[in-house]
Amino acid sequence: MTFDIQRILESKREFRRGLAALPIAEKLRLLDALRERQLTLGSGNSVRLNEGSRPDPTPFASTRP
Amino acid sequence: MKIQEVIRAINQMLADGVIDRYAIGGAVGATFYLEPVATIDVDVFVTFKSAPGSLLVSPQPIFDYLKARGGAVQGEYIVLAEWPVQFLPTTSSLVEEALDQALTLDAGGVPAQVFSAEHLAAIALETGRSKDKARLLQFLESGVLNTQKFGELVTRHGLSDAWQRFGRQFLSDAP
Repeated sequence: MTFDIQRILESKREFRRGLAALPIAEKLRLLDALRERQLTLGSGNSVRLNEGSRPDPTPFASTRP
Repeated sequence: MKIQEVIRAINQMLADGVIDRYAIGGAVGATFYLEPVATIDVDVFVTFKSAPGSLLVSPQPIFDYLKARGGAVQGEYIVLAEWPVQFLPTTSSLVEEALDQALTLDAGGVPAQVFSAEHLAAIALETGRSKDKARLLQFLESGVLNTQKFGELVTRHGLSDAWQRFGRQFLSDAP
């Protein structure tokens, strides 16, 4: 444990590099877990996908003739 | 794994001819190259089949196909394996090119069409929201980008000014 900010920042970078280097299947599992955690934390205020449901999606304008 | 179920469903939709092609972008796409970042949805860029004689294209066939296979429509999303999935059209020449040049990557035994790292970084620059700038910084710091290819994308798609602004804001030591 240290309070040296440079070492703390380097430690964070190292941790991020380690996460990035994980096998993709493991990273996708983490995505699932992160999303569930985010929904739990955000329930009741920020995440409201159910609101505004409607039967038909809006057409997009084509970018091609 | 739930997100693999999403990818399988989209692959099946492609095999069944509902869409011409697809590629995963956004935070899920970036996770193929970077550390995972929390996101609530999956962005899937597609080319839609348009009705003969119509300039409008609609995601309705996609929604109909997926609803018939257990998907649930919620606003602009369709929920597959508990993930809200948003199907997006190509909105710029850069995104069109990204879709053309998408890579087939292994998502834990499931093939997935994903934007290249350089296209994801350039799209983040083009989109330009705070979270996009943070993602672009992640790409730059990670060392996964082919900087020559990224530079060519920036030039070819008219993003040189945006890149210079980004550099002044985030890559310069000067205040």
